[in-house]
Amino acid sequence: MELFALLIILIVALGAGLLLQWLPMRHQPRPNWSQRVPFLGGGTPDSHAWSRYHVRYYPMTLLLIAFEMEMMFMYPWAVVFVEKGMKAMMEMGMFLAILSVGIVYAWREGVFKWQ
Amino acid sequence: MAVNWLHKLAARGSVPVFPVLGKQGDSALRHLALSPQIELVDSPRHASVLLVAGEVPADRFEPLRRVHDQLPYPFTTLWFRSEPWPHLERVARIDDLDDLPGALVMAHRELMEGRRGSAHRLLPDEPPNPWEGEGDFGQGGEGMMGGVPYGRPMAMNMEDDIRDGLTLDSLTFRLGPFFFAFPPGMAAEITLQGDLVQTWQTQLAPYPQPLDDVFFNARERPVPIAEVELARARHHLHRLFHALHLAGLENVSLRALRLAHGLSTSNTLEGLRRALSRSGFFRLTAGGGVLGPEQARMIGGPAARAAGLDDDLRAEDAGYRRLGFSPVCQTAGDTLARWRQLLDEIDQSLHLARLAERDRVHTERTGSVETPRGPWSARRPADASALFDELLPGLEWGDALAAVASLDVAGLTDQPVGTRPSGESRAVRGGTGNDV
Amino acid sequence: MFSELFLPVLMVIFMLVVGGYAVAVLDRLVASALGTPQAGGIWLAPMARGAWLLTQHANATEAPDWRAWRLAPALYLALAAGGLAVVPWSASLVATDLVTSVVLWGSVEALATVVIFLHGWSANSLLALIGGYRYVALGLSYILISMFVLIGVALPAESLQFTQVVASQEGLWNVIRQPLGLPLFLIVGLGMTFWGPLNLADSTDLAGGTASEISGPPRLVWDMARATMLVAFSGVAATAFLGGWLGPWLPGPLWMSLKMLAVLSVLLLLGRLLPRLAPERCVTLMWVVLLPLSFIDLVWAGIGALL
Repeated sequence: MELFALLIILIVALGAGLLLQWLPMRHQPRPNWSQRVPFLGGGTPDSHAWSRYHVRYYPMTLLLIAFEMEMMFMYPWAVVFVEKGMKAMMEMGMFLAILSVGIVYAWREGVFKWQ
Repeated sequence: MAVNWLHKLAARGSVPVFPVLGKQGDSALRHLALSPQIELVDSPRHASVLLVAGEVPADRFEPLRRVHDQLPYPFTTLWFRSEPWPHLERVARIDDLDDLPGALVMAHRELMEGRRGSAHRLLPDEPPNPWEGEGDFGQGGEGMMGGVPYGRPMAMNMEDDIRDGLTLDSLTFRLGPFFFAFPPGMAAEITLQGDLVQTWQTQLAPYPQPLDDVFFNARERPVPIAEVELARARHHLHRLFHALHLAGLENVSLRALRLAHGLSTSNTLEGLRRALSRSGFFRLTAGGGVLGPEQARMIGGPAARAAGLDDDLRAEDAGYRRLGFSPVCQTAGDTLARWRQLLDEIDQSLHLARLAERDRVHTERTGSVETPRGPWSARRPADASALFDELLPGLEWGDALAAVASLDVAGLTDQPVGTRPSGESRAVRGGTGNDV
Repeated sequence: MFSELFLPVLMVIFMLVVGGYAVAVLDRLVASALGTPQAGGIWLAPMARGAWLLTQHANATEAPDWRAWRLAPALYLALAAGGLAVVPWSASLVATDLVTSVVLWGSVEALATVVIFLHGWSANSLLALIGGYRYVALGLSYILISMFVLIGVALPAESLQFTQVVASQEGLWNVIRQPLGLPLFLIVGLGMTFWGPLNLADSTDLAGGTASEISGPPRLVWDMARATMLVAFSGVAATAFLGGWLGPWLPGPLWMSLKMLAVLSVLLLLGRLLPRLAPERCVTLMWVVLLPLSFIDLVWAGIGALL
């Protein structure tokens, strides 16, 4: 039931956001082409902005995926942690340590310098 | 009616103004930055009034038309110390700096309350390229590249990336004369790959910047050193104001501006310096933009001293030597070193001004003067914006703009400005939040 | 059933409206305290700005992705509403008392990155595009820190439910029990709403970044979404670290409001006091300094929970 309420809340908020944009815009005329030129301080672009953008932080995203998978395991782990005691701590510690080696490796390889 | 009520409420807010800087327009910018009712915005989409401050030369008319048309309806224009274009309807021209905030507020209110109609578009309502294609989804035409889909070509990869050699698409564009992060009037053609600058070509040099008359007088006859040094400190504080706004430190930038407005020998830089270092400006913001020795010699002035060259014409003046002057230098030559250098020079200028005022010392050497822009002996410091073409490729966008802000490349006007505009010499206090 | 559905929705809408307005007023207060001149009454200014935005025409670019462009501010608002829905005002006064509210908040944070990128990308304009892509680097970095810190908070509570997290703080608030937690979480908050030093998406060096091409009603919704996300974040921070509704003499919801106001003030102050970080420095800082610190915080929390 709560999840359903959450869903309703999300839909209502989304609808409110869309309505708040659409209602005043209903009667506005379509902007001219001269208004639609992207703002570049008065200059002109050569092409559309959409392009194969060189994302320099790509190696970092691979590192993130590794940690994300670990995070997924930590959610249920957090709930049973106190019950299981030291054993749970050790297990998660091993998991974290292995992944930390990954960070150190990435750091040494200059992932964070965006080469 | 609900519409009127909404418009009346909208009329009472602060006025968002997009400033277009013409020659010597930055005095208006600085005056408005401290006005409580005016909000200077960076994008014309966020503005309701277009302020043309200072005379815009004819080669920048087309960019001005483009920016004018980029403001959404309803909007209006106001021209400050420049002649409004004749085909615009009902536009006002203001010449007095003190009247400017009031005129802007009035323009916005009239616009909101319907007493003034919105301005109209200047450029024709045409897409950038007529649609020439065959397919339903933008493909077609002839050959591999086909037609020009939806008005503009798609980006193509031109060059290998400078840092890692991966060739993806480059975006080439011209960033125009009215981009606030540039020196006023500068336009450049830039190629970016990702957010890294691949090439930079300055196409329009920035306007020659005005200088306080005391520097012109210093070339003719001895002038009080206190006056010269205060003018120098004021110039540097204005540059600091611009850079701090770019870095996102709005309140510190206004503090620098207020300091510059009421600058006298009793002021000290300590508060500002402390605010800057406590905010982490030197640790958190961008570095990069290291000047080589040749480049440093070309630009001269504080930027060269930040790169380690200790040339300063003031060292050759007996009056300064009597006050114990010696040039301050940094060694790193990058953006942060230039800011440290600027702060040190402001400090030094205030210190010299204090001593000079007490002892009534004058400059002794005529014929040459060390301006805040650089040394002026035989030739006036010239525009050095070609420096950017070598310095900026390879820098990331934020670093590149910070380097542009830290270098004073505009040349000097050949005549003094005359008396300072009436609003500038008053110390403008920050708003206390009282209603108008 | 009607009251079970209707009341939560009303609650969240009320929090959105009041919270957004409160952030606008508070931001102006902070600005004028720090020296930026503000005109007119502080209470009227946000309303006047909102009215002006409603009367301004919405902007268009040459070939944007219309659906995504108009959806992005509304989606961000919906995410903020989702966050507000799990903030507990007292042991029984929660819009939706999910058993896994920590997980929900984590997904809100992750999706925020997507939405902000979408906002920048869909405008098909260079400055907006750069803002969107630049932000993703930051967005991917803060997620991990946030999750480790929140898991640390969930350990003593033995539950992922925010009401349980608050209940576990009856003896001692988490801000004292896990001292590293709140500072790290505040940095995450600044990142999530790209506020102040972490404003890589809508920054001044991009003439407004993802917001450089929007005007009128879409801009109003975008600004409101940012403000309400700040409120949602401060609600979660107050719940997880400052003991939520716990406190003597005053009723629970009032304590919660006070704590949220405190967190909001700190965030808004930090937003005005610190300069914008360079992206490379930001990413390096987050992965090399803050992530190990969050590991330490987790270990500390674990040891604390076992003792």
